[in-house]
Amino acid sequence: MIVPFLLVFCILGIVVYSVAQRISEEMSLSAINNLDESLDLIGNTIETILGKEAEFQVLIAQEMADSKEPEEFVLSYERNSTMVKLSLIRAGETEGISNTGEVFTEKELDFSAGKTVDGLPLSSSYINDMGTWAYTMKCPVNTENDEVGTLYIEYIYDSFDEALPNDFYDSEATLYLMDAASRKFVMKPKGMGERDAGHLNLNDFYHANKISEEDVKKAVNDHINAGENMMFYHNIQNQESLIYMWSVNDGVVYLIGYVPVQAIQREGDAVNQNIFIVVAVMLLAFVSWCLFYLFFERQQRKVQKDREAERELHNKQLTEALQAAQIANNSKTTFLSNMSHDIRTPMNAILGFATLLAKDVDNPEKVWEYTKKITASGQHLLSLINDVLDISKIESGKVVLSIGEFALKDMVSSIDAIIRPAAKAKGQIFDIAVTGIKHEHLIGDETRINQILINLLSNSVKYTQEGGNIWLRIIGLEQHSNQFERVRIEVEDNGYGMTPEFLETIFDPFTRAENSTTNKVQGTGLGMAITKNIVELMGGMIEVFSEVNLGSLFTVDLELRIPNIEVDEKFWERKGIKRILVVDDEPNMCDNVRLLMEDTGVQVDAAHSGEEALRMRTCESEGDYDIVLVDLRMPAMDGIETARQMKRACAKDVPIFLMTSHDLGELQEEALEAGIDGFLSKPFFVAPFKEKLLEIFDERGMETQNKLVQEAGSIAGRHFLVAEDNEINAEIIEELLDMEEATCEIVGNGKLAVERFSEEAVGRFDAILMDIQMPVMNGYEASRAIRALNRQDAKMIRIIAMTANAFSEDVKDALDAGMDAHIAKPVDMELLKQTLSLYLR
Amino acid sequence: MKKCFKRAAALLAGVMVIVTAACSKKIDSTENLAKNNEEEEKIVVLFAPMERSRPDAKNVARTAFDKTVIMAEEKLDLKVEYNTYTSENYQEKSYDDVVIDRIRNNMDDFYLLNPDVLQKTGAEGLLEDLSGLDCAKNLREVVKTANTVDGKLVGIPQEVVVYGLFVNKDMFDEYNLELPNTPEEFLECCKVFKENGIETPVGANRWWLETFVFAQAYADLYNGGDVEAEIEALNSGESKYSTYMRPGFEYLKEMMDLGYIDAERAYTYEAIEGEGPDFMAQKTPIVMAYWGAANADTAYGKPDFNLRVIGFPSEQGQMPVMSMTGMSVGVNAENKKDALDVLEVILSDEALQVYAETNKVISPSKNVEVNCIPALKPLNDLVNEGTYVLASNAGMKVEQWGNTCLIVRKLMEGASVEECMAEFDRLQEESLK
Repeated sequence: MIVPFLLVFCILGIVVYSVAQRISEEMSLSAINNLDESLDLIGNTIETILGKEAEFQVLIAQEMADSKEPEEFVLSYERNSTMVKLSLIRAGETEGISNTGEVFTEKELDFSAGKTVDGLPLSSSYINDMGTWAYTMKCPVNTENDEVGTLYIEYIYDSFDEALPNDFYDSEATLYLMDAASRKFVMKPKGMGERDAGHLNLNDFYHANKISEEDVKKAVNDHINAGENMMFYHNIQNQESLIYMWSVNDGVVYLIGYVPVQAIQREGDAVNQNIFIVVAVMLLAFVSWCLFYLFFERQQRKVQKDREAERELHNKQLTEALQAAQIANNSKTTFLSNMSHDIRTPMNAILGFATLLAKDVDNPEKVWEYTKKITASGQHLLSLINDVLDISKIESGKVVLSIGEFALKDMVSSIDAIIRPAAKAKGQIFDIAVTGIKHEHLIGDETRINQILINLLSNSVKYTQEGGNIWLRIIGLEQHSNQFERVRIEVEDNGYGMTPEFLETIFDPFTRAENSTTNKVQGTGLGMAITKNIVELMGGMIEVFSEVNLGSLFTVDLELRIPNIEVDEKFWERKGIKRILVVDDEPNMCDNVRLLMEDTGVQVDAAHSGEEALRMRTCESEGDYDIVLVDLRMPAMDGIETARQMKRACAKDVPIFLMTSHDLGELQEEALEAGIDGFLSKPFFVAPFKEKLLEIFDERGMETQNKLVQEAGSIAGRHFLVAEDNEINAEIIEELLDMEEATCEIVGNGKLAVERFSEEAVGRFDAILMDIQMPVMNGYEASRAIRALNRQDAKMIRIIAMTANAFSEDVKDALDAGMDAHIAKPVDMELLKQTLSLYLR
Repeated sequence: MKKCFKRAAALLAGVMVIVTAACSKKIDSTENLAKNNEEEEKIVVLFAPMERSRPDAKNVARTAFDKTVIMAEEKLDLKVEYNTYTSENYQEKSYDDVVIDRIRNNMDDFYLLNPDVLQKTGAEGLLEDLSGLDCAKNLREVVKTANTVDGKLVGIPQEVVVYGLFVNKDMFDEYNLELPNTPEEFLECCKVFKENGIETPVGANRWWLETFVFAQAYADLYNGGDVEAEIEALNSGESKYSTYMRPGFEYLKEMMDLGYIDAERAYTYEAIEGEGPDFMAQKTPIVMAYWGAANADTAYGKPDFNLRVIGFPSEQGQMPVMSMTGMSVGVNAENKKDALDVLEVILSDEALQVYAETNKVISPSKNVEVNCIPALKPLNDLVNEGTYVLASNAGMKVEQWGNTCLIVRKLMEGASVEECMAEFDRLQEESLK
């Protein structure tokens, strides 16, 4: 689109240029004509002056002829600004007289050139006695008959000054009067500057204006000799100029000078300038229009490009989403396939053994065996369902952490209780180490942390060969804030390890190292995904390092808040415990004890062998230790032997605790015999240590507690109201209660439960076991309704939620609805008994 | 988008309309288009010698002078008009002849005058007393002395002109010659040059040969003599100028006779124009010239050899010869007041500073000092030490610079030393009348 416009403008430009050139040429010719006329005018003026001078001289000569005493006439003359000297030489004489009174002769004047003015001979120019250029004309003084003499009048060129223009072409043009015969510059106009004043003759003029071309000089010479005018172009002072040499009075004198072409072509230049301004404005308008056009075009393209890019991005996102959906779908298809297999396998066992059970109902041994296998398969099925539910809940973002205070030692104990038997069953060595932890009590979701540890450790047990090693390390990292404990959990094994490929997807849901249909190890493949999600939910980080056949290492970094516990600082003071001796060959263990006891004000000394410990004991009342902690396994002298020798050596009965991470078994009796006062599980924690001390100081408290626990175990004779819509489940609970010699009344929904409770007398039911999801009225509504009844026991009756809704928020919902406790299905009879006995006590 | 196009088109159209409106001009029919003579510009006419105009390069000396003239034109809102004259050959009237005629006929307002003209026209009472100008108060005493005629300060120079010998040091080195101090050493140098094929060891012109004479004549007078007493003796006729001048004339005569100076050619040479080209072409090892000629962009600036400017040989060693070209105002000048104002500006310390810095010359003002170029250092050192002779002294009744010049020309024309001395005696006798 621009090209045609450009073409049009190019053509227009050429036309304008041609017109401008034409105008310039015409104006130039016109300017030269003007200059020509001006010079003619000036020349004519000078010629007129010369003519008038000659005419006047003739008149004077005539007057002189008429005078009787011409000499007196001469002497009486006073010079003026034009005629500066008047002289007379009588005919036949060589000397005459001037008006100055001096003797006058013609010999100093040169009339040889033969120039005349109106017939009067004209001398060559000369410097007169005024120091300025002058010329003399001579005129015969004639009477009627004779020539009586010759009149000489000297004129100065300065008198022409008035005839020359003051500002010839705005003073840009120069103008000299040159004596043609001598080529000398005899007059310069007024106001001449230094450069132009330096022109003294034609050669100086050539020199100053760099006119060195011989042909030009020759042409000039020829024209001057011929008394002709001449005008030509030449560069003067870097300006194209016109040089003129104008003949005056038939070439007696010449007007010489130059004018820059620019100075005489002002009009032409002005016209051209205006044309160029118009063209420039038009061009500017065109360029502006083009720029506007290009700008808008570019903007439009950019918008279009952006839209296309957006569309492409959108399409890409859609494609990616589709691919992701397809992958997810594939994963879920694979998962469902795996799940189908995993669920069907235990289900097959359950149904198969149930069939066998029906067949062999009379054979108690087989019944016991089948029941045991059915239970195991059921448990496995339950764990599968739990995992599936867990991951779906995590993925849907519905998991809420139950934050609460917990004791690290309890957590470690429970983990130890769960994992150690499994590890022991496979002949694996399970080792626990807690180091660098400053605070025993922390705030976090204990259940979820347990879940993390159990997932990791059960995997380690599962994927470590028999006789392998499993380590659990809980390490206290450097704190970033004094309000948080940074905990690193390391689970390491020397088991099968994992391939790098699998490590990349280990935390993805619905993936497993191998397809479950070909893997002997059972599992949903969700454990690690759940673990990772929980860790991230807690703001932590999980990493895994593994090599095939070498083992795996999982690290979990968590930051857990430190509770504001009021430390019972006085405990140690009250018990009179000021110094403790720790005896362990591992320095880390000693440091750990020292670290944990830091806030208690108790001094902790360490001995790394039994011998050293014995040396450190002073056995005196002053300066001896108040308590000794001794590790069981030490080289040379073990803990029991150390305790034994201490008891022998010191009369003072200082309590000695044996620390061990292993089951003592037969050694326990030996230890007691050696004088050990108590046993502490490793790793060391302050709370159990305090408990053990309390046990020693107050054994009665323990006995009371034991009695309470024993009493809490039975529900025999109790009568319950059970709200359960599922008949099988209702039957199971009825049978289970029956096994415990308790009775129940079953209703099919919440509404019926409310009605039944309200109908019966106060104290008829010991508690209500309430399912949650029921038709007509669910468990929550029913509980609220019961609590709202206007009955004496409406607020008192124990309501236990017994439901398949097993999440922590379900527990919270149950308690919010007014229930007292929550038991997840399938019902663990032992747990139910404990719970009921606790509330019914 | 269309909206934008419309706006752009409207904007351009608006610009076109504004431009068109701005270019149109309505002429009022009552407006007088004829130009009446406006107030005439004030003009002050200067008559000064001038080098012929060159197409490109400008004479530094003139440029310096022009700078001060421009200062005056700007300050006084007038124009200084230049008139000049230079004789084309020795047969024509000299500048000095013409300027005297012009002063006598009140042709110009102010003039640049040589010492002899200044003394002559000053004595005729044709020059204005400049002692009342403020700029006169800054002058060095020696300058005032040299330009005072009959108690009137008739001229003030823009520079103190120092003449010296311009020597091609490379040529001296080529022939293992030391720079000469005494007349004998100078002759010896010339002899060696001559023997080595240098036709004319000393390039001269018809104006400046008398510098040799002054150096030998007045070396003792101005360097240790009782100046006042000796001048008084000369003015009273007790002692003779010819006595002072004789050694210098005899020395010049010997130089001419030995062919060290080509008198015949020198007589026809204008200053620098004649002998300059040979010196610059390294055909002549020695010329004489004024100080400023050594500066860049002047006659002997930018030579292709190692240039040195030294004093003239005398029994007291190398001797700079000082002269002063003064600016003077005609007592009957048409624009006398304006001319005096111009002088007040161009001779002020401010203007003389510009002049001296441009030309690297010694300033007549005691308040102005500038550094000289390396080539001038030997001469400058002598002047600073107070070692020099004056070629013009208005206190002497017989004008020195011009008369000596003319008498030297006679020597060049072939007159004997005795005839020249007789001429001095005649001049002295005339001065005593």
